[in-house]
Amino acid sequence: MLVRALAVCVLALAAAAAHAAEEFTFDATEFQKKPLELGGYVELKQQHFTLNPDGALYLLNFYREPRSYLDDTTLTLKPSGVLRRGAVSLNFRAHLEGDWETRGFDRLARFDEFYGSYKPDPGFTLDAGKVSLKWGKGYAWNPVAFVERVKDPNDPDLAREGFTLLTADWIRNFDGALRTVAFTPVVLPASPDINPDFGAGRHLNAAAKLYLLYRDTDIDFMILSNGSRSRRYGADFSRNITSNLEIHGELARIEDTQRQVTTAAGQATLVRGAATSYLLGARHLSERDTTTVLEYYRNGPGLSEDEMKNFVRFVDSAYAQYLATGNDAALARAANLARNGYGRPNPGRDYLYLRVSQKEPFDILYFTPAITVMANAADHSTSVAPELLYTGFNNVELKLRAFFLNGGAGTEFGEKQNRRRIELQARLYF
Amino acid sequence: MRLLALLLTLMLACPAAWGADANDILKKVDRNLEPESYEMYRKLINIEPSGAKKEYVLYSVKKGRDKVVALFLSPPSDAGRATLRDGDNMWLYIPNVGKPVRITSLQSVVGGVFNNADILRVDYSVEYNAESAQEEKDAYLLNLKARTGEVAYDRLKMWVDRKVLLPVRIEAYAASGLLIKTLHFKDIKDFGGGIRRPATVETDSPLYKGHRSIMLYSQLKKREFPDEVFTLNYLSRVEDLRK
Repeated sequence: MLVRALAVCVLALAAAAAHAAEEFTFDATEFQKKPLELGGYVELKQQHFTLNPDGALYLLNFYREPRSYLDDTTLTLKPSGVLRRGAVSLNFRAHLEGDWETRGFDRLARFDEFYGSYKPDPGFTLDAGKVSLKWGKGYAWNPVAFVERVKDPNDPDLAREGFTLLTADWIRNFDGALRTVAFTPVVLPASPDINPDFGAGRHLNAAAKLYLLYRDTDIDFMILSNGSRSRRYGADFSRNITSNLEIHGELARIEDTQRQVTTAAGQATLVRGAATSYLLGARHLSERDTTTVLEYYRNGPGLSEDEMKNFVRFVDSAYAQYLATGNDAALARAANLARNGYGRPNPGRDYLYLRVSQKEPFDILYFTPAITVMANAADHSTSVAPELLYTGFNNVELKLRAFFLNGGAGTEFGEKQNRRRIELQARLYF
Repeated sequence: MRLLALLLTLMLACPAAWGADANDILKKVDRNLEPESYEMYRKLINIEPSGAKKEYVLYSVKKGRDKVVALFLSPPSDAGRATLRDGDNMWLYIPNVGKPVRITSLQSVVGGVFNNADILRVDYSVEYNAESAQEEKDAYLLNLKARTGEVAYDRLKMWVDRKVLLPVRIEAYAASGLLIKTLHFKDIKDFGGGIRRPATVETDSPLYKGHRSIMLYSQLKKREFPDEVFTLNYLSRVEDLRK
């Protein structure tokens, strides 16, 4: 009996030892670099919108078919890959999307990036093709992002579509207070055939960024030449004040901006002039792993509170005219104004952004709840978005978010198309 | 009286001498763990109380005393992420998403017990001053104090094997005296090129009861890199360093 028990114990110990040995084995040869690498993710997103029947943007989009809610299912495939041969590589990131909304189906297929790279040494890179550049230090907004598509402050981490361009990168390191200098020139052609949404006409646009790591501070200076867009200059910085507090800022000067504004009667005029935009922000990490991001954004070319209110009055009168006469010409003009400025995300001048996220509360690994508040500082309307993120399953990311828009009549968030939005997103990485 | 003065002088000088010896030991521990400039592969395994595991594979390169870059190779959800440390500056780059952002040493890019300071560790002697060393039966116990407030752990207690001058156990404490985590160094292995060190570092923390984190080392080699590799602009290209 005793011998049998001992034998069982020995076998159990041997099995445990074998398991432990297997558990802690690592041979890096299986992770050797391959000439072709593919990856990406597939994402399923379900959204439910509670519409805002009092909102000006709701009236513009739904005056013919009023409704109280919308459901939207989006299936997105984002494959990416790289093919390497010596100092040359071919890189791509595609975006394939099917969108089933209550009113119909839509689809989208494009390359977000598709470019060739030549990297003869670590200090030099040349990229040619469709590239997504990322300039600026702000989290929610980047006024110095002169050669990028606009970031969605509701999804600042979302990968964006690039522009077709030629860019290089020189890096040099030094000893002393100035540790790094990097220079990034960009040539971006724009015409009706290539980068048509960068600006009107045919232009060969030139831009450049100079990066310095000086006394433990990241500093950038950037410029975009006059062409498809007016000439603009910018600078940004980022620095750790303490081991858990970072501050950052951006400043952009645009030589010539134009925006369409309307009176309450619908008389639209073009307002032109130079504008200065800037952003100041901080990121703090507490001992309890709470990350707080706070930013103030001054959108120089943005609309004033009165300009916003006049637009809303115009939409209200255009809608009243439609109800009385069936004539929607004024609503069509208002919709055109919305496309050109009033309806864009954050069309106003002063914004505050606060995001607080708590990593792994109550010892729940891979779980991060967060809340994001975006406020139009002029009219005090807000968007409040609580969020739950779980990444505990291998290669799966689950996110549940809700958006609550608050604000009175004539305010930015009070006049949006939606009053609430609930969103469930599942991503599988491969 | 003269004898008393001499004794007093010797007693006062002793802690300083011990401190100097302790720092010498610490420097030797640093060089025995890794060459000053190297490349290596590591696997991080987070084990939950339920037994569920999450694994990460990183490729890391280091130059000099305080420049480190780590690139995530696996799992696919994290592949391509790169973290850079240049002195007290740390950045995180997430591919396709945004530009590199500054991060702090206590933050964790992988979740679980390991934080950035563990993943982007520079020489212990760069971050810590060895205030004293005590001789124990088979080990030296080094009492280390962070040189600046930027360092992730305010104090370390490091038990060093007296024969091979490699750490056996490290306890990491916050400034409040709270024990944050304990690292256990195991499985001494010959990596070639004169590098013989523990291939496994197991970590537990009273802050994460029942959780364990394991770090496994592979292909640790001496290698020199140009300074340009350790810059913000190079973070998206770290993969190019792998052969």
